[in-house]
Amino acid sequence: MKNDLLIKICMGTGGLAAGGSEVMDAFKKQLRVKGIKADISKHCSIHRVGCRGLCAKDVLVDIILNNVKTTYQFIKPYMVERIIEEHVINGNPVEEWAVTEDYHQFHNKQIKVVLSDCGNIDPEDIESYLNVGGYDALKQVISTMSPKDTIEIIKKSGLRGRGGAGFPTGVKWEICFKETSSQKYIICNADEGDPGAFMDRSVIEGNPHAVIEGMIIGAYSTGADKGYVYIRAEYPLAVERLKKALNQARQNKFLGKNILGKKFDFDIKIKLGAGAFVCGEETALIASIEGQRGMPRAKPPFPVYKGLWEKPTVINNVETLANVPYIIRNGAEWYSSFGTEKSKGTKVFALTGKIKNSGLIEVPMGIPLREIIYDIGGGIENNMAFKAVQTGGPSGGCIPADLLDIKVDYESLAQVGSIVGSGGMVVLDENDCMVNIAKFFLQFTQSESCGKCIPCRIGTKRLLEILERITCGKGREGDIELLEDLANDVKATSLCGLGQTAPNPILSTIRYFRDEYEAHITKKKCPAGVCKDLLSYVVIAEFCKGCGACKRVCPSSAISGEKKAVHKIDPDLCVKCGACFEACKFKAIGKG
Amino acid sequence: MVELTIDGKKVSVEDGITILKAAQMNGIKIPNMCYDKRLRPYGACRLCVVEAEKQPRLLASCSTPVAPGMVILTDTPKLRKVRQTVLELMLIHHPLDCPICDKAGECDLQDVAYEYGKPEGRFIRHRKAMPPDVRGPLVELTANRCILCGKCVRICSEHQGRGALGLIGRGFPTVVQPAFGEILECDYCGQCIDICPTGALLSKPFKFQARAWFLEEKDTICPFCGCGCTLTLGTREGNVLRSRGKEDNGRSEGNLCGRGRFGFDYIYSDNRLKTPLIRKNGAFVQATWDEALMHISDSLKYIINSYGKDSVGAIGSHRCTNEDNFMLRKFMVSVIGSHNMDSSAAFGYSKVQKALDMAFGLKTHSINMKSPLGKDVIFILESDISITHPVFGLNILQAKREGSQLIVADSRDTKLTRHSSNYLKMRQGTSVALLNGMMKIILDKGLFNREIVSKTQGFTEFETSLAEYTPGKVSKMTGISEEELVSTAETIAKAKNRMISLTVSATENTKGMDTVLAASNLVILLGEDIDALQIPAEYANTYGTYKMGIRPDAGKTDVKDIFDMLYETNSLNALYIMGEDPVSTFPYNSKIMRTLKSLELLVVQDIALTETAKLAHVVLPASSWAEKDGTFVNAEGIEQKIHRIVDAPGQSLPDWQILRNLSLSMGKEIAIRNIEGVSEEIKKTIREDQKTSDKRVFNTVSYSAGEEPDMEYPLSLVTRDVLQHSGSMSTRSKALDLVVSEAFLEINEDDARKFGISDNSHVKITSRRGTIYLKAKVTDTVQPGTVFTSMHFPHGRVNALTYPSENGAAGTDAVKIESVKG
Repeated sequence: MKNDLLIKICMGTGGLAAGGSEVMDAFKKQLRVKGIKADISKHCSIHRVGCRGLCAKDVLVDIILNNVKTTYQFIKPYMVERIIEEHVINGNPVEEWAVTEDYHQFHNKQIKVVLSDCGNIDPEDIESYLNVGGYDALKQVISTMSPKDTIEIIKKSGLRGRGGAGFPTGVKWEICFKETSSQKYIICNADEGDPGAFMDRSVIEGNPHAVIEGMIIGAYSTGADKGYVYIRAEYPLAVERLKKALNQARQNKFLGKNILGKKFDFDIKIKLGAGAFVCGEETALIASIEGQRGMPRAKPPFPVYKGLWEKPTVINNVETLANVPYIIRNGAEWYSSFGTEKSKGTKVFALTGKIKNSGLIEVPMGIPLREIIYDIGGGIENNMAFKAVQTGGPSGGCIPADLLDIKVDYESLAQVGSIVGSGGMVVLDENDCMVNIAKFFLQFTQSESCGKCIPCRIGTKRLLEILERITCGKGREGDIELLEDLANDVKATSLCGLGQTAPNPILSTIRYFRDEYEAHITKKKCPAGVCKDLLSYVVIAEFCKGCGACKRVCPSSAISGEKKAVHKIDPDLCVKCGACFEACKFKAIGKG
Repeated sequence: MVELTIDGKKVSVEDGITILKAAQMNGIKIPNMCYDKRLRPYGACRLCVVEAEKQPRLLASCSTPVAPGMVILTDTPKLRKVRQTVLELMLIHHPLDCPICDKAGECDLQDVAYEYGKPEGRFIRHRKAMPPDVRGPLVELTANRCILCGKCVRICSEHQGRGALGLIGRGFPTVVQPAFGEILECDYCGQCIDICPTGALLSKPFKFQARAWFLEEKDTICPFCGCGCTLTLGTREGNVLRSRGKEDNGRSEGNLCGRGRFGFDYIYSDNRLKTPLIRKNGAFVQATWDEALMHISDSLKYIINSYGKDSVGAIGSHRCTNEDNFMLRKFMVSVIGSHNMDSSAAFGYSKVQKALDMAFGLKTHSINMKSPLGKDVIFILESDISITHPVFGLNILQAKREGSQLIVADSRDTKLTRHSSNYLKMRQGTSVALLNGMMKIILDKGLFNREIVSKTQGFTEFETSLAEYTPGKVSKMTGISEEELVSTAETIAKAKNRMISLTVSATENTKGMDTVLAASNLVILLGEDIDALQIPAEYANTYGTYKMGIRPDAGKTDVKDIFDMLYETNSLNALYIMGEDPVSTFPYNSKIMRTLKSLELLVVQDIALTETAKLAHVVLPASSWAEKDGTFVNAEGIEQKIHRIVDAPGQSLPDWQILRNLSLSMGKEIAIRNIEGVSEEIKKTIREDQKTSDKRVFNTVSYSAGEEPDMEYPLSLVTRDVLQHSGSMSTRSKALDLVVSEAFLEINEDDARKFGISDNSHVKITSRRGTIYLKAKVTDTVQPGTVFTSMHFPHGRVNALTYPSENGAAGTDAVKIESVKG
């Protein structure tokens, strides 16, 4: 390596939010102050890099001094001076700020394909991508392979659509390739909208060129000469980096006319989504690009036959496309060596919720869920009891504790009533109310329903109403059966994936946590103590020291009691804000 | 063909059609709310779901294509169950105000609920509480009743090409509304009313008029344009209360325009004649039929005796039936002994006919409303067919949607230009130059079969005559760039097949016989058949009137035509006008009035006291189209029956009966007792004209402009129809008058600025023949240098400005305009 000193600062959305750019400025300033300035151009450089996964510990900084890497976590600008002084100048890493064992544990069981360069290269510099073999796959494909060969490799790799449906990518490309049309399109679906999902965002922010390269290879294989990236306007950083990357790719002749000197034209346009979740559905997405109202239409015809402007159109998810260059470079066998028989390769998940190491992970298909939660995720926050994992976002379902040993792949998750989906993974602990979780997702899908078909437009509203009444203590006998019945009808009759899967969170929570529903309805109690209307706070007399902490924070003056005497909460005045619960050091406030 | 099984029945259907269609074709009913065969599958109501063997999911039959070997079940307990749920959801928010809803009794939602609904609801009911939008003139929107099937939105944008309604908002709060919640301003075709499966869209004139189950419905033919659409008229207690289109009914297959749907109420005009009127001492006096007929027959006899039979003339009517027109002809020929007959077709269809006779040797020219479908290229020449023949226009739009290339040359923006693939913005009245220029390009580039075509009669003269129409020169004449001229000529010449269409009528002054001749030349040059030329007859029975022989060239030569009869003061002594209002609808009306006033006898037989009737000596009350039996021939040459649906007011009689009675008064027995008698006589007398001919002749046509604008009269006045009206008859409709009730002058923004005219202000317009006052409408849809207006409104007096073009050339008028301050 040319550089003696390399500093990599995480500047994905997580990194930036934690102050990444301030840390970057601090490093630049300190290097100047310490007189290392002169060497910057030659032996010292600072890189911004994309997300490396463990967002919980941002800002993460790598110092690579004479090829020895030390990673620091939770870096703030004030810490920079000491790092420069002790580590860079004197060669003694600041051990107390360096990452701990769990950082390594987080990475140990992961296998990074899509994310292999994420967090390592500068996403705003094509050179950085080229240095790690970027665009080699494209060069290889264009100069030595026919579209058919390329499709064959993708088919053999077993790559399936990472947007959730899991349709074999190679097959999709092949159908499009075989369609005879003067005009074909390839669309990258970057309208990632599931609550708690940030896989596509991180990939584009961390390695936009991989997506672009994958798209170009896709276009070459299918015969498309125009591409669109449909990306949410709520991802400004991703959009900006994608724009930069597209310009760089054009300057390097990877896009445009006669790519790499061959008779192959292709260019990509960015189309910003206007904030409708349903536009992630491929036909709605197409309608949106066409300038129409973003509503799904009935399939068939599938977009690969009649898509954008009625022309054959391949729509692939960001992660799917980002896999392509790595598969071409390393071979189909290499890729299919990961994963299970039917689900090949790796999958990126956004691990969030009540988990210690929340962040972005990439694991081989078929990894046991337990390993994700406990080995990679480091277990549940605050040592609470694990309750369930919600996968697949609002279209998915919950996996309870007794199924922790299932393998994470398309088939296994479907069997237990959930889905891989686009890769959201929300960990829930004992303090989460499953009825409330179902309600949360229904609120989301209900407000995101486009309103075209009746079961989704009106059915989800009714489902939500029933959940609302259950969570506020007005649940009725028979509500669970009514929920199940209506949920099944909505699933059976809705037009698009949104409506067909919207009831899943309800059905799966009823399936595994029926007792919680029953408690809400018959006992009018929320076992997890989440549903406010079913909650009452009481002072547990034997623990109460009479310190008055609760009384001071109570916003509605509902707590009374003399100093050093047991306090009392007036249920009529209590607004159930939980401030007393938080304030009590003696666990003397009980939820019931 | 695809074989599949539906409900145990093996069926074989065309490949690519949907399961729903396959079921319908085989008599299997599947409930649906958002399907219409005119529209693309939508799949929103989810009632049409069916089960398919080996398919885990239910399939929406409206949008799923058939596949070989499919085994479909359309009615199972599972399907009943989910349909019931969907319906239950639909009804939660529906107000169920059926007792006060006009749709009740013919409401799809009611019907499906009756079949699948269940008495109890499992969900709390939330009625929507949007006030109905009653602001528009003809269509009322009640969002509360809407189930968001989107049919109205789609028929408006997909089918009508208008897009006046939209789905506003997302998800649950979505509503159907015009953009920005403004007042619905549209074509007022009312197709949305027919297609709405609930009472969310209703006809305002029909509101609270009658319960559906009290209406008696009868089909008849629309009295307005030449499309000959079938109207289903709903009557109660002897009054026509509404008109609607029924799916697959008649030539229009259920489509209607606003005139057909709302315009029928002209028969209830306050101005209807109820008794004969005789002018005595300058004023009309009510008379009995006997008095009136005696008065006419005495006068006619005196005139024939004094000046001869040829001093009597008659004008027939495209509004009257074949039977009426035939009787007029019989009266003229057998009783009077004169062949001086003509009709409004003289300004339109007759010109077309004459030209096509010269070019193709055919005496009748019919169109085919379906001819646009499947054509490679459709070329529309300075005509707004979506206005003059709205339902024919729909087929043009459909062809465009299905892949035809639509090239529209026009001098103003129209619905067709908006939907065109290529819009050639041309100067008004330069169609002949454009056609000649294009043919010159085709000749020069050799884009035709010279070997065959050069043998056609008149080819050499034709080719020579085009020498001067170089692209450069034509570009200057027409205002279309040379490149566009060349590319259009090439496109049209190289097309696999093509349709060229235009309209010619009394109400339009930019096209004439020469335009038709030039278009015929193009068709012959490209080796096409006459079918490539589609020029529709203008009104409901223009074709029939012509066919019945109400034309100067039907029998003898040396006969007086409409130009002699109306524009030459000493040509006639007596004129019998049946169902026509020349003073309002024919050009240069000051001259017509002078002629009419000079007559010794003017008889006007009409349904209302028209501007022409006001000049008559005797006025006879006739029955309107809904008050008599008879036949119309539409532009396709298809004879269709109209029916007596309501009683005629007062003493009015069908035109043919009046003429029969008059014959009796004249002492000539015409042995016709009833309408069947007339039909038989027609069958005996009128020969069917030949439909094909091998004759092909090139007729040299050179471009001549109408009145060219000059220093004194700097603008060109173009007359065109407006969508809501047809001739002047529709102006008696109260419903249509709610949309447009006066003529207005459309003027380009730049011209408006130049002449100091603001929108909606009054303008004085003067031509060499007269002066009128109109309100201005400042717009960017017309080009600078040209102003547009329409002739429909008698009180607009637009025909005070215009002139008739006897030689068959186009005739725009040069006018000057002044702002009227005050």
